[in-house]
Amino acid sequence: MITAALAESLTQALVVLVLISGAFIVTRKDLLSLVSTYQMQSLLLAGVALSLYSVDQSPTLLYLAGLTLVSKVLLIPYIIKRIQRKINISRDMEFHYVSPIASIFITIILILLVYGAFSNILKELALSNLFYLGAVFGISLTLMGMLITFSRKKVITKIIGYLTMENGVLLFSLFITELPFIIEVLILVDLFMIVLLATILSIGMDSSVEAYQERFHQLHIEDLQEKLHLHRKHRGES
Amino acid sequence: MFSSLFLTGLFFLFFGALLPLLSVRSGRYVRTATLGFTAVAAVLLLVSSAGVFTGDVQEEIASYNVSNALSFSFALDRLSSFFIIVISVVSFCVAIYSAGYIEHGGGNAKRNILAGLMNVFIASMVLVVASTNTFSFLFFWEIMSLASFFLVMYDYEKKETRKAGIFYFIMTQLSTVFLMVGFLALYQVNGSFNIEAMGSASQLMTTAIFLSLLTGFCIKAGVIPFHKWLPYAHAASPSNISALMSGVMIKVAVYGLMRFVLYVLGPVDWWGILILVLGTISAIFGIIYALKEHDIKRLLAYSSIENIGTILIGFGLYIIFQAHNLPAIAYLGLAGSLFHVLNHGVFKSLLFMATGSIVNATDTRDLEGMGGLIKKMPYTAALFLIGSLSISALPPLNGFVSEYMLFAAFFSSNTLGDPMLTILLVLCLSVFALTSAFVATCFVKAYGIMFLGLPRTDACANAKEAKKPMILGPAILAALCILLGVFSPALLSASGYGTLPVPDLMLVGSFLLATYAIIWAALYHSYPNKTRVGATWDCGTPLSSRTQYTASGFSQPIMRMFKATYKTKEIPERTFYDKQNSLFRSGEAKVTLLKFFEEYLYMPVGKKVMSLSIRVSRMQNWNLDTYIAYAFVAVLLVLVYVGWLI
Amino acid sequence: MNIDANYVAYAFLNTAFIILISPLFMGVAKIVKAQAQGRIGPPLLQPYYNLLKLAQKERVYSNKSSAITKITPYINITIMIVASLGIPLAFAPENSGGLGNIILLLYLLAMGRFFMAAAGLDAGSTFGGMGSSREMSISSIIEPITIIVFAALAFTLNTMDMHQMFQTAAQEMSFLNPALILVSIPLFIVLIVETARVPVDNPETHLELTMIHETMLLEYAGRDLALMELSHAIKQTMLMAILINILVPWGYAREFTAPAVIIGMLLFLAKGIILATFIGLTESSMAKMRLFALPNLFIIAFFLSMLTILLEVFR
Repeated sequence: MITAALAESLTQALVVLVLISGAFIVTRKDLLSLVSTYQMQSLLLAGVALSLYSVDQSPTLLYLAGLTLVSKVLLIPYIIKRIQRKINISRDMEFHYVSPIASIFITIILILLVYGAFSNILKELALSNLFYLGAVFGISLTLMGMLITFSRKKVITKIIGYLTMENGVLLFSLFITELPFIIEVLILVDLFMIVLLATILSIGMDSSVEAYQERFHQLHIEDLQEKLHLHRKHRGES
Repeated sequence: MFSSLFLTGLFFLFFGALLPLLSVRSGRYVRTATLGFTAVAAVLLLVSSAGVFTGDVQEEIASYNVSNALSFSFALDRLSSFFIIVISVVSFCVAIYSAGYIEHGGGNAKRNILAGLMNVFIASMVLVVASTNTFSFLFFWEIMSLASFFLVMYDYEKKETRKAGIFYFIMTQLSTVFLMVGFLALYQVNGSFNIEAMGSASQLMTTAIFLSLLTGFCIKAGVIPFHKWLPYAHAASPSNISALMSGVMIKVAVYGLMRFVLYVLGPVDWWGILILVLGTISAIFGIIYALKEHDIKRLLAYSSIENIGTILIGFGLYIIFQAHNLPAIAYLGLAGSLFHVLNHGVFKSLLFMATGSIVNATDTRDLEGMGGLIKKMPYTAALFLIGSLSISALPPLNGFVSEYMLFAAFFSSNTLGDPMLTILLVLCLSVFALTSAFVATCFVKAYGIMFLGLPRTDACANAKEAKKPMILGPAILAALCILLGVFSPALLSASGYGTLPVPDLMLVGSFLLATYAIIWAALYHSYPNKTRVGATWDCGTPLSSRTQYTASGFSQPIMRMFKATYKTKEIPERTFYDKQNSLFRSGEAKVTLLKFFEEYLYMPVGKKVMSLSIRVSRMQNWNLDTYIAYAFVAVLLVLVYVGWLI
Repeated sequence: MNIDANYVAYAFLNTAFIILISPLFMGVAKIVKAQAQGRIGPPLLQPYYNLLKLAQKERVYSNKSSAITKITPYINITIMIVASLGIPLAFAPENSGGLGNIILLLYLLAMGRFFMAAAGLDAGSTFGGMGSSREMSISSIIEPITIIVFAALAFTLNTMDMHQMFQTAAQEMSFLNPALILVSIPLFIVLIVETARVPVDNPETHLELTMIHETMLLEYAGRDLALMELSHAIKQTMLMAILINILVPWGYAREFTAPAVIIGMLLFLAKGIILATFIGLTESSMAKMRLFALPNLFIIAFFLSMLTILLEVFR
């Protein structure tokens, strides 16, 4: 039987590991290890839910752990890995705005920022230290996900960023909010993700966002505009 | 008794200043006598200030009224006597060193003026520190600035020196302006020029005075971003003057800051944070810029900026911990800061003097033109080694003690009870650790390139060891580096800081010595004791001075890793025979470093001032009628002011 | 500071123990690497044979070198031995002798590095210059991480003294303390960097890509080389001891009696062999990183150590 104190320190260790996996995703260039890190992160989250369950005994936590295990540890990584094999890209070397080193520093500042902001907001809730930490790290992970989505060029890395964001929301919800509500949010976010995946898959996702936009150009959207423009110019001159 | 000793010391300094200036054309004996006066004066000042420091007494020296409101008055207390100890120790050694150094270059007149002005310079620094009112503080501050300006301009024939001198003069006047504003505001509040605890004033007023004084002192101390004059001035001036300026003069600014913040204004915790952050920035950028330098005197100058940063870090820590009611840790910060003032004075003057000997012997300041000097100048090499070890804060030398105290204060930052502040301190700690690691790198580079390997020029291959006084002066300081480190526990307890948890370096030193002796004795006569001398492994290509590692090569990895700070640009230019760029014809590559502060801060400000002054100078057109018209308008304005506006 | 009989006994035992076992850990790592590459590898005791062989050979000095080259091996071994007094491997006496301070330890190591880098420049060879330049650069940028790791240890265990740290860790047995687990990762990276191993450097060669530590020793021969290698091995054992005695302090002697000390030593030896195996495996599973890719590795270590501080502060 696990004692409460042990469960607490176990949870804390797991939460910290989740954050570390986030930091790993921020800096890695190797796509395969990105996906496996994401997989590991989801597994850790399931672990967090389970270890919370051992204290709380609330069945929702158990469902949540199962859901995470099935969808994020098995299904989504499987799909992404399949896509990866198809498109044959193994590394994402390009960074927008921030380098990996800078993004680590930004991450540290983010955590401090979230901590500072929450110390004012969450004062009334009188949370225990562990829950406070979980909430702070959850939001930090969400922000890190955002950082990944805008700092990487390859679409597949951006997807990992979105998924990390969603994991952050899950982490936050595990520690703070009411569960049934958050499941709805989760599903919503997941739906959004699926839509996104579907769009990208239909257009093709073998390269960067610029290429993606080019695909749009190929649909003659811009060509039409140009023609219209030329037409007007012509009429103006005559 | 101490005050009469003090006055006698000053008398010697004044006499020493007058003697060579009155007999400008006379020969060597006058200069030697002058420097003898300086040394005697330094000893007298040292004795009197050490007495005040250890006795913990307040010693009135003298007071002279100029008019009803203005007077010169001097006194010694613990803080000022400590700084006078630093001044006199360094001055004593510099005086000895100068007896040899001064005989290089220049004619009799120039040498005599140098010796005389040096006395004026030292006396003015002592009097700034001893002043008890802002009027005499500012008066001697100006004398100090002027004297040092003339000393910097010693080699005025060189264009580089003139540029450095003018730059220095402008910056130092700027510092005076800020100080004057602060002092006048203080007068407004207090109603007197005395340096005493400030009366009640609004928050805004106190903050304004603090910021004005901080800016003034930071300019003089060379804190980044006000540091730009320092590398120029230190590089251009004669080495004995660099030793005084770097070892002592910038500390006078630190003294001013401490005196006014602690005794007059009364610190608030955010001042501590500001000073800490300023110090950290100065420390890291100072050493980062030092790493890229291969002009040895500029390298030392940048390293002075780093050390001033370290001193400010300690002072900032003191204010922060004091504001959080943790006096035990706070005193660790203050003691570290003050001890570093002394230590930096000792080892930086030592390094500047040793460098001076080398520059005299090799006729270059460029590291790329040195090498192998350990064989030609073994004594100077040994002295420089001790200085380098000490500045790199290696135990059991003195630099370690002061840096240790700062580290220990940083390591207690989890007791502050304010998470954000603790994290800020930990971040500063990591930067500080990086700084001190860089210092070691920087001085391995300086030492290795200057003294080890093969000589890179003929001048260097034929260098001669420096004259005796030029070894004796720095040697005293080198001995002090060791003694101040090894006897640090005794010294700290003698100065009332005995309770601070500092490792016993006497013990460490004796352990090191004993172990070394045992190992050496065990191995020296052991079998086999055969040695052979061979050539350096060269992979079949004969070694020459051109094939060994250069100073720029040594710091290249760091310059590349810190590309963002240096704004390093690597520009390879290649031409090819064919269009496909495959047959290489010729090429040229260069690495440029941006002078960030110069290009983004100093030049724009300078240009603004320039364009403004051009506009103003148009009003001055050498036409009498115009000037009369100005006078007419001025009189009218006065009339209007008097008639209607009052 | 009072040196009592206990301390003297400790000083002799600890020093003898560290000198004896240090080459062994080197050998273990070598064998593991060889096995991972499908080779048999050298015998376990090869490092000892090497040291003995080198000790019997004549010393060769370059005609360009100066006294710095001659004194550096002695200075280096002296520093390592004195520093090792601050790191009690298997048992700590009541009084720490004032040598256990972590800042003191760091700066003693820095002193060794200073002389080694200077000796690298001494013979005027490009190899040595390159080695000392890279060594100093790398050790400089790892320094902030080292200091934060040590600050985290000091915050968690509430002391700056290595002796007390080990004792506290042994008493509390807090192996599930997240801060300590977390801090062990950057500590391991520091260990890899300071001992010049893959992915930072390769201890096997001094080819161009790995011209860091080994190239500084290129001009040494005979007994001097033996001293340098021994001090390197001692340095590795010291850093390993910090990791072992803080993360897995099981069996650390809590009282100064013969059986406790012997059990402590044997257990330390076993744990050290496991850690050396792990180091060998890490080395085999990684490729040497480019010199300028190293900051990426260091930044992860920096993040982890900073995270430990955050955990400690927010607690």
